[in-house]
Amino acid sequence: MSEIKNEQPEPENAATSRRDFLKLAGGLAVAAGVAQVAMSNMTAKASSGGEEGKGPQWGMLIDINLCIGCQYCTFACEAVNNLADDMRYCVVTNETTQSGQEFFLSRPCMHCQEAPCVHVCPVKATYHREDGIIAMDYDRCIGCRYCQVACPYDARVFNWKEPIERSPQSPNFGLQEVENRPRGVVEKCTFCTHRIDPGLERGLVPGVDPQATPACVVACPTVARIFGDMNNPESPISIALSEAKTTMRLREELSTEPRVYYIPPTTDNRFQGS
Amino acid sequence: MQTTINYPKLRFGKKLIDVFPYWIGFLLLGVVFGLVGAFVVLRDGLQVTGLSNRVPWGLWISVDLSSISLGGSAFAFGVIVYLLKIKRFEIVGKLAVLLGFLGYSTAGMVLLFDLGQPLRFWHPIVFWQVHSLLWEITMCVVLYLTVLMAELIPIIVEHPFFDGHPLHEKFPILKKVVEFAKWLSHWLHKAGPVLAIVGLTLSLLHQASLGATYSVLYGRGVWFNQSAPTQFVFSAMSGGTALLFFMSVVVFRIMRPGLVKDDVLYDVARIAGGITLLLTYLRLWDWAVTNYYSFDRNITLQTEALNAVAPYSMAFWLGQALLPAIAGSLLLAAKSVKNFRYLMTASVIPIFAAILTRWNYNFAGLIASSTYDPYTPIIRINSYAPTWVEFAVATLVISYWLLAFSFAARYLPFKGKHEDHH
Repeated sequence: MSEIKNEQPEPENAATSRRDFLKLAGGLAVAAGVAQVAMSNMTAKASSGGEEGKGPQWGMLIDINLCIGCQYCTFACEAVNNLADDMRYCVVTNETTQSGQEFFLSRPCMHCQEAPCVHVCPVKATYHREDGIIAMDYDRCIGCRYCQVACPYDARVFNWKEPIERSPQSPNFGLQEVENRPRGVVEKCTFCTHRIDPGLERGLVPGVDPQATPACVVACPTVARIFGDMNNPESPISIALSEAKTTMRLREELSTEPRVYYIPPTTDNRFQGS
Repeated sequence: MQTTINYPKLRFGKKLIDVFPYWIGFLLLGVVFGLVGAFVVLRDGLQVTGLSNRVPWGLWISVDLSSISLGGSAFAFGVIVYLLKIKRFEIVGKLAVLLGFLGYSTAGMVLLFDLGQPLRFWHPIVFWQVHSLLWEITMCVVLYLTVLMAELIPIIVEHPFFDGHPLHEKFPILKKVVEFAKWLSHWLHKAGPVLAIVGLTLSLLHQASLGATYSVLYGRGVWFNQSAPTQFVFSAMSGGTALLFFMSVVVFRIMRPGLVKDDVLYDVARIAGGITLLLTYLRLWDWAVTNYYSFDRNITLQTEALNAVAPYSMAFWLGQALLPAIAGSLLLAAKSVKNFRYLMTASVIPIFAAILTRWNYNFAGLIASSTYDPYTPIIRINSYAPTWVEFAVATLVISYWLLAFSFAARYLPFKGKHEDHH
């Protein structure tokens, strides 16, 4: 546990003023541009999971064989995003295969390339970032909940109540890192863009450096979650995907093209992961 | 020209009592109760409802869909009156416009409470997301409400108040307003055909999209029902025209006898009957196709679940197939039946069926959802029970509808100078 905690990034000042935020945003925009140019050199040998084009394409791989169902991912996510227990972005459930073998299924937002939530949002409050992340503009959301109805993965939660003071998982699993969302908007997992974007600016590599990696990935004690740029063949996720015998995605028949891959449970050597 | 209006009266012993004030008082009670609920939901947010992350849409969306569908006669009769210029439907057409306006304004009102951020209701008008069915519906409803308003103004201006009233001399500003309204209504009346075409386009677009709203919900109950858009259009026309017939009999036969010939009312009933039969025919094919193609595991699971727990198959056979077939036939044979009591009773069924379809799509569509686990997905039955706040707000908007209709039925002349001029 202590090891994991050491890897937590320093929480940023949650009460950043608007002016500071604008300054930061301006800097970020420049940094993102620079990062894109820098990254574009690496996209020549794009792996199968990525998308053609410039810049990184973030993705996640979850090895079901390594997941022990401890829910640290859920708790870290709750702490960082300041969520109540009934507002979880990431949930771990007990499931079974057709032959009856039990396994744990950990489910963040799938960040679908053809995201139903993006298509149905009437005001473009939910949108596709260039790096493949499905993000939200909480100042624009009208709270119609069509995205929630449309998401086939139940990945979205609505702010029925006012935001809470402090998440029940905080400070054990981390401190709040993002602003609270107002009552009456839908919210979701962001792949921790608040870590990725400033991380890139500081020259860190998301998926490698914990400060720039989603909280759930950092918190996982069995390294069941791997995160990284799917356009970069050297990234941990590209390597893991190329080494994995089989991968799957949830509800592929719906053609939502999720960015979260799973290594399905194997029957015999259950705890020999990648 | 002044029309004499009979007010419905109730007989108590030897006394005849005008029930209108009591009726209005009763509706005002509903409004007051509703306003309490509206205040609570605006203050405390949607946590006071029975909605949840599993069932995010409930009673209000069902009321919204139903009231939009019951405004469905307006576009059909807009075309009949303004475009095809079938004169004998002109007066009935005015009632259709009124019903349309009431249906759409009710829907807009209830949606306002359903939004998590009611003050951002204008966002879809500014922030366009052209791929979203909901965006398209919002834009259509806003524009169509404007069209209906434009069609309604000339009808309101017919009121004798606008032809010189003692108050006009007292308040010159009022006179100016009245003159402007008359000038506006003159031009709006001339623009009738254009408004009718725009109205028809907008109506067909969003009535269909309301059905399609549920067809894109892959993880939910009735997404596989691919004829939903067509069904929504036809059921809005069927239910809306049936409501128009019912209300026409009340307004034109009971309250203003002689203004509209019985034959015209029979024709309205026949149109309603014809569309209802057509809709039933479409529904039978839809049912057959859905079941035939249900080899998909998820669809089979979902259909079974919906048949078992939600009022899906019973509602289908009774409310959407058998009763409408009987009622539709009866309405179609209006000229042989020639009994307004039977016809009015029959016209209640398409109205009921249109509402039932909306409620079925919304409740059955959301209550059964399939899980995302990869190997053994099941159909999860979620639970939802509306709270008193939801019932209160529903009462508020329904009371509004009835109040506005009651006043219009009593005070609007429904016949003015336009007929004399043209």
